[in-house]
Parts: sequence; structure tokens; C-alpha cells
Amino acid sequence: MKKALVLIGLLALAGAASAQTFVWPQKWTVAKPQEARRGGTLRAAVISDYRTFNPFITAEAGNVPSIISGDRGLVTRDPTTGDWIPYMAESFTVSPNRLEITFKIRRGMRWSDGRPITADDWITTWRIHTDKAVGSNAYDSFFLDGRPIVLRKLDDYTIRFIYPRTDAEAFSVASFAPWPAHIFGPVYQREGAEGIKRMWPLSADPASIVSGGPWLIESYRPGERLVLRRNPAFGEWNRDEAGNPLPYLDRYEIRIVADTNAQLAQFLVGNIDVFNPATVDHISQVRQAIQAGRLDATLKVNASPVASSQFMVFNWNKASDPFKQSLFRSDKFRRAMSHVVNRQAVIDIVYGGLGTPMYTSVYPVLTQWVNPRVPKYEYDLNQASKLLAELGFTRRDREGFLVDSRGRRLEFNLSTNAGNVQREQIARLIVDEARKVGVRVNFQAIDFNTLVGQLLSSGPDRPFDAIIIGLTGGGLDWPFGANVVPCNGNLHMWNKSGQCLDPRETQLDALYSRGRAELDFQRRREIAFRMQEIEAELLPVIYIAGPNYHPAWNNRLGGEHPDAIISSIWGQRQLELTFIKR
Amino acid sequence: MAAYIFRRILYLIPTFFGATFLAFLIIQMAPGDYLTQLELDPKVTPETIARLRAQFGLDRPIYEQYLLWMNNLLHLNLGYSFAYQAPVLEVIWPRVVNSMVIVIPSTLLLYLVAIPIGVYGAVRPYSLGDRILSFLAYVGLSVPSFFLALIAIYILLQIKFKTGVLLFPVSGMTSSGFEQMPPLKQWLDIAWHAVVPILVATANDIAGLSRLMRGQMLEVLGQDYIRTARAKGLAERLVLYKHAFRNAVIPFVATLGGLLPSLISGAGFVEVVMAWPGITPFLLDAIASQDLYVIAGFLTVSLVLLMVGNLISDLLLAWVDPRIRYE
Repeated sequence: MKKALVLIGLLALAGAASAQTFVWPQKWTVAKPQEARRGGTLRAAVISDYRTFNPFITAEAGNVPSIISGDRGLVTRDPTTGDWIPYMAESFTVSPNRLEITFKIRRGMRWSDGRPITADDWITTWRIHTDKAVGSNAYDSFFLDGRPIVLRKLDDYTIRFIYPRTDAEAFSVASFAPWPAHIFGPVYQREGAEGIKRMWPLSADPASIVSGGPWLIESYRPGERLVLRRNPAFGEWNRDEAGNPLPYLDRYEIRIVADTNAQLAQFLVGNIDVFNPATVDHISQVRQAIQAGRLDATLKVNASPVASSQFMVFNWNKASDPFKQSLFRSDKFRRAMSHVVNRQAVIDIVYGGLGTPMYTSVYPVLTQWVNPRVPKYEYDLNQASKLLAELGFTRRDREGFLVDSRGRRLEFNLSTNAGNVQREQIARLIVDEARKVGVRVNFQAIDFNTLVGQLLSSGPDRPFDAIIIGLTGGGLDWPFGANVVPCNGNLHMWNKSGQCLDPRETQLDALYSRGRAELDFQRRREIAFRMQEIEAELLPVIYIAGPNYHPAWNNRLGGEHPDAIISSIWGQRQLELTFIKR
Repeated sequence: MAAYIFRRILYLIPTFFGATFLAFLIIQMAPGDYLTQLELDPKVTPETIARLRAQFGLDRPIYEQYLLWMNNLLHLNLGYSFAYQAPVLEVIWPRVVNSMVIVIPSTLLLYLVAIPIGVYGAVRPYSLGDRILSFLAYVGLSVPSFFLALIAIYILLQIKFKTGVLLFPVSGMTSSGFEQMPPLKQWLDIAWHAVVPILVATANDIAGLSRLMRGQMLEVLGQDYIRTARAKGLAERLVLYKHAFRNAVIPFVATLGGLLPSLISGAGFVEVVMAWPGITPFLLDAIASQDLYVIAGFLTVSLVLLMVGNLISDLLLAWVDPRIRYE
């Protein structure tokens, strides 16, 4: 009996020891594994406070569940290539019809409370995310054209994803982080969605929060600081190339500092280790401190553009004003307006010289997706005047503004959300440049929610002329917005009549569906290039420019990304590979 | 007196309902709601937003939302925060406590400093000292507190750069490793962090209060009974403190009740600039994201405290001023 127990014990040990490890590639960091030191605390700051520890109701970016889980699932992306690689899965196979992906789950992975991580965890997590009553932010990602993506457990370590149609973003769905079925499952069965929503509030005991990722919650002080400590169970299967368990750090401390000036001050006195200065003023203060020897830090100015867009959109649905409606629907007019936008002045004045011009909906940071040969209607007032003359605006009125043969003045209202200083500056630049060619632009900054209400209103007569706004989000797998391109999309902002009005809209709509369903990267990229050409011709919205990403870090940190991959997409480092030099 | 108090409490009931309804209406009249921000997310479908709106009850008519909320209030439940998905009181209370760490000492400091300055100015009007204090008071009045906080941070940074010594923390309420400290050290750590915010929060108010005190005291010193007291040959110290000061301070006693709501309302923008986890940054966040019940819940608590504070003020006034009688 005793021998049998020993044998079972040995087998269990062997099981744990033979955990199938994921080896973090050396090429993801500049440091050699032998340089890395264990221990220490990384200190960072965030702008807004955390809302919950609950992974199913969390809504804001950079939330606690995604930090402690590392936000990875069966697959993750290799930042050097952008490709999906198996992560919590040991391998995967795609069915011949490309509608099913079967994942072999890595064995030996454990939750921080010691329970094994198995297929049940994914199934339960998926069930809860797709329960309407829970209200999970991830809900929509489990549906394609309204049809569900189904998960099936084949055995404890095999799971199959079944898609209603082929999808370029199929792997992105499989990258969702699992949560422990033994914690959430019983509550969900007993109390349903309401029970789930009550779990893991900020007031929960940190020791009760179970993680499968790199971090555990040590303490949380509302509005002040979240302190995380290394999850030892994570290091059992996450190792560097020398076989050291990850993460190297003992602790990861995140201060909540609501004011960017206060964050800057904290970085300058060496109280926080990482900081992304966003304004020219902040950048120059960091640079001065480094040059004067007051701060031992590294600053990478213009590491990449940020993944966001700023644009001007004209309203195509103005039944009450046929003159303006036909004007806004004319691509000649929109091209003229694109020639009026002085993108370089926007970069110089609004972003202090540290920005990137934009000509299509694809963010410049997504370099693989950017079609370099699209037509660009750059700043050129003569060209703008010529196009406007072709539209019949040749005479000027007493105030110097263009009028057509019937005496109708070329004039429109432009608004953006009050308080967004950069957008307000962009709008003023447009007003000034437009005046030079004889177009009167009446600028008004209005409340954000009112603006969104106008922008998203639908029907034949919508209550605005033109709006400056921006979008973020958009994937590496397929860089176009599912709500933006299709003519019935909620964010098809220029035309919300519910149907395509221009044949090129129809074409874009069709190409979007084709590209989204195309699994071959090269072919998908060709479709994306074609779409950008059409976008640039049609100019449904006039893209302007965006700011750049400028990461900075204290030199006590090691293990940042090689320069080639430091960008707003991949960030400055993987926390798992970050260490404290001294 | 008892009848007066009873009557006052009865009056509070319609005031309470009127004020809460007005507050609710004004918050609701602002365009958009908590989910508007989400509408610009290219990954979220309109159906999901509609579903969430129904889940939060935001698709119902305003009066229905108000009645539901009122029903909750009568059960001492301030409602649910959309952002935190937790009861409002649970998320608000820790912030209020943090704010009190600044507000209570700064209020005490305010009275301790402002009243003597005011008295000094009144006793020696237009003297050099009075002129200097008046000048400083006007400067204090004209510099907004957030700017004063920024100046404080700047000075601390410069000292740190010149000497390598960080006199006081540039922001926050606790140091890293706070959780591992013994209780006494934790208290000291918070106190060390609180010094600059307390000073900044007080500096602004000193100006106003000391000017008020100076004016009151000057007025009382011009009264006949002061002249009589002096004529009787009373010592100047007794004239000043026994006769003049006691009368000049009456209006201040009457405002003590009004301090009650200010205890929970936070120290203002100082908290934002110095990253103090008080109620102000929290509320600004809630207002920006239109977290309806957090704003409404906080307004309700403030309202109740204001009403109770006013009642206390009136009673205090009757107690200190023999001329007032409530029949």
C-alpha cells in the first residue's frame, strides 16, 4: 500500500515535471538569457482606475483580468512576424474545409490554486462569454454574421472550434484567455448570469482570485495602486531559452495616476519605470532630464505611428438640403477637400512634428497592410480650386467665398468633440486653409455624446454636415472594421441610409466579405490593397494624420524588444522577459 | 424648539424629493449615456449595445428610472455603478475616506490659521503686516488650487534635481511596499504623502476666510459697546477677545454645519493633479463616462448632509446668539 502511494506520488511529480513547456524565443528581447536576473519590482502607472477583477464583465482596455492572464489563450502572436503560434495549445490542425480548428492543449499547465488547466476551462469560459445576460464585452467575437462559433470538447486535452464560415480572424477568436471552470462553473450552474456578475469585484480578497497567467494579485488599493506578484504555476511551463522560469520579476506594481503631468513627474524622479510621453512638451522634458544626467533612462522618439486614425467625414444623407447633399456625395468635392487638408501643418502644429500622415483607413503602423501605391490627394490649394471650378464654383461673393451659377455659397458646418484640443486644432487649420480657396467652414466644438449621436443617426436626413473624429482598433489579420466598411454597418458614418449609394461602396462591401473569408495571407493582402485603392479614390472619409508612439523606460529595466519590433502594436517589451538590472 | 425642529424635518421631505428628481433629470438631460462611448468601437455590434442598454435599464422612460431608483433609495440602496458593476456605496466609500485624510486636517488648519490672520489684520488695519497679509491673500485667492499643486510639484522636482533629496512625494497617497509596512509606518507614510496636498488645499481657502474674519472683526470693533468697554478702562486684551472676538466669530459658528457636506466632497483638483485617490477624480471619471447612479448617489448623500448641516447651523446659531429665538 505504502509502495503504491509512493509510486502515485512519483507519477504525480513526474507529471508536473514533464509539463510541456512553452519556450519564450530569444529573438523577442535584446537581452541574453544569462543576463537576466530574477527578482525586483517593475513600477508603472495608468491613467484610470480599475473597475473589477471579473473577467466576464470587464470593459475597459488594460483591465486587471487581461493583465493577470497575460491576455493569451490557445494561440498567441509572434511579435517578430505577426504570425499565430500555439501557446496554451501544444499544436493545432485545421480541417480541409477550413471550418474547424482542433487544438491539442498543453499538458501540465496549472491554475494558481494547483488545479490543472483543461478543455473544460475553455468550454466554461466560452459558455459564460456567450450568455447574453452576462453582458460580456467579448460576446460579439464569438459570432460570425450573427451565427455562433461553437466550441466542442473532444477530451480533457483536445478542443475543437467550429466556425459557421471561413474567417481570416479565426485564430484571434481562439486566443481568448480561459478562466477556471472549477471556480466559475458551479456558480454559473447554481445562480446563472447574476451569480457570475457578482463574482470577483474589486472588494474581493486578492487571495481568492485564481490566475493561469504570469501574475497574481497581491493587493489593490482603490484609486491608488495594484500590486501583482509572480504566479509560480506559470513558471512551470513558461521558460526562457536557458530553461529559467518566467516571469523574472517578483512584482509588478501599477500606480493609478489620473493626470499625465503627475505621471511625468513620477517618471522624472524615478518613481515609475515605464512611461509613454504623448506630447512634445513631455518628450522634451524627458529628453532634457536624460541629457542633463538627472535621469538614467531611454527614450525612443517616433518608434512608430499609433494605431488610431483622425478623419473628416461628410454626411451623404441630407434630404432637407439637396444642394449640400449632392455636394457631399460628389467625390470631386471630397478630393478638393482632401487637397485643402494640410497634413504636414497638422503634424507640425498639432503633434509638434511627431506624427504620420494618413490616406486610407489602414493605420500606418500596420506596415504589412499599407498599400504604398494608393492615390494621395495631398495638400494643394491650386488643385482644390481647379476641382471646385469643375463643380461650377468659379465666382466669388462680396466676402470672397465661392458661389455657383445660382448664387449658392460654398459653405458647410464642421464639428468635433469639445475638449479634444488636437481635433479642435485640426478643425481650425481646415477652416483657415478652406478660406484660402473660398470655402466657408463654420467650425463648432460640441459635446462628445451629441457628436456621436449625430454621427450614428441614420435615415435620409441626418443632422450634420461634416465631423472630425477618430477610431481605434482594427486587427493585424484583417485591418478593416466590420462595422465600418459594409454599407449597413453601424459605423458606415458617411452614408447611413442602410444601402450602398455609390457603386464603389458596393465594391468595397463585397471585397470586405471576400477578404475576411480569405485564409491565404498573400491573397488577402491583395484584396486589402485593392480596397485601399478604391477607398483612396472614393474618399468616403478624408484621413488626416495621427500621432506617433514614443516609449521611454528607466535604464534599471532590461529585456526590452529589439528596435525592429518596438511599436504601438507590440509595445516596448514583454513583461515576462523584463528584468531589473540593479 | 422641539416643534421648530420637527417642522424643519417635515420641510426636508419635499425638498429631498424635489432636489433628487431635479438632479436625476439634469443628469439624464445630458446627451447620450454610459454606452455612447462603446458605440464608436468598431468591434461591438449595435445589437450588443441595445442589449446592454436594456440590461442597465437605460431604455426605459426617465420617470420609470427615477421611481426605480427612488424605491432603491428608500431601501438605503444608492443604486448600481455601470462601470464597476457594484453597489455605488461600496465603490464611493473608500474614496470618501481617502479624501477626508486631506479635508479634515486642512479644515482644522484653515480655521487655526485664517482666524488669527483675520484678527491681526483687524486689530492693526493698514499696518505693514496687514498689507503684506492682504497681498498674499489676494494672490492666494487668484491662483487656482490645481495650479498651486502644479507649482508645488515643480518646486519638489527642482529640489530633487538640485540636491537629490525628495522632500515630499510628488504624488500619490502611499509608497510602494506600503502593504508590507508595520501599521505605525503606514500611518507615517500616509501623513508624509498628505503634507503637500493639505497645504495646497488649505492655501486657497485661507485667503477668503481671513478676509471675512478681518471684515467681521473690524465691524464689531466699531460698535458702541466696544467703545463703552474701552471707556470703562477694560484691558485691551479682554476687549478684543472677550467682547469683540466672541461676537465676530458668530457667523463662523453658524457655518460649521455647512462643513458637513464638504467633508465628503473632496479636496477638488488638488486630488487630480497630485494623484490623491480621493472622491474628486472618481466623480470626474463618473461624470465623463455618465455613470448615472454614481453621480446621482453621490448627489443624494451630499444633499442629505447639506440639509442636516443647515439644520445644525441654525441650531448652533440659536445657541451662540442670544438674539435668536425659534418659537
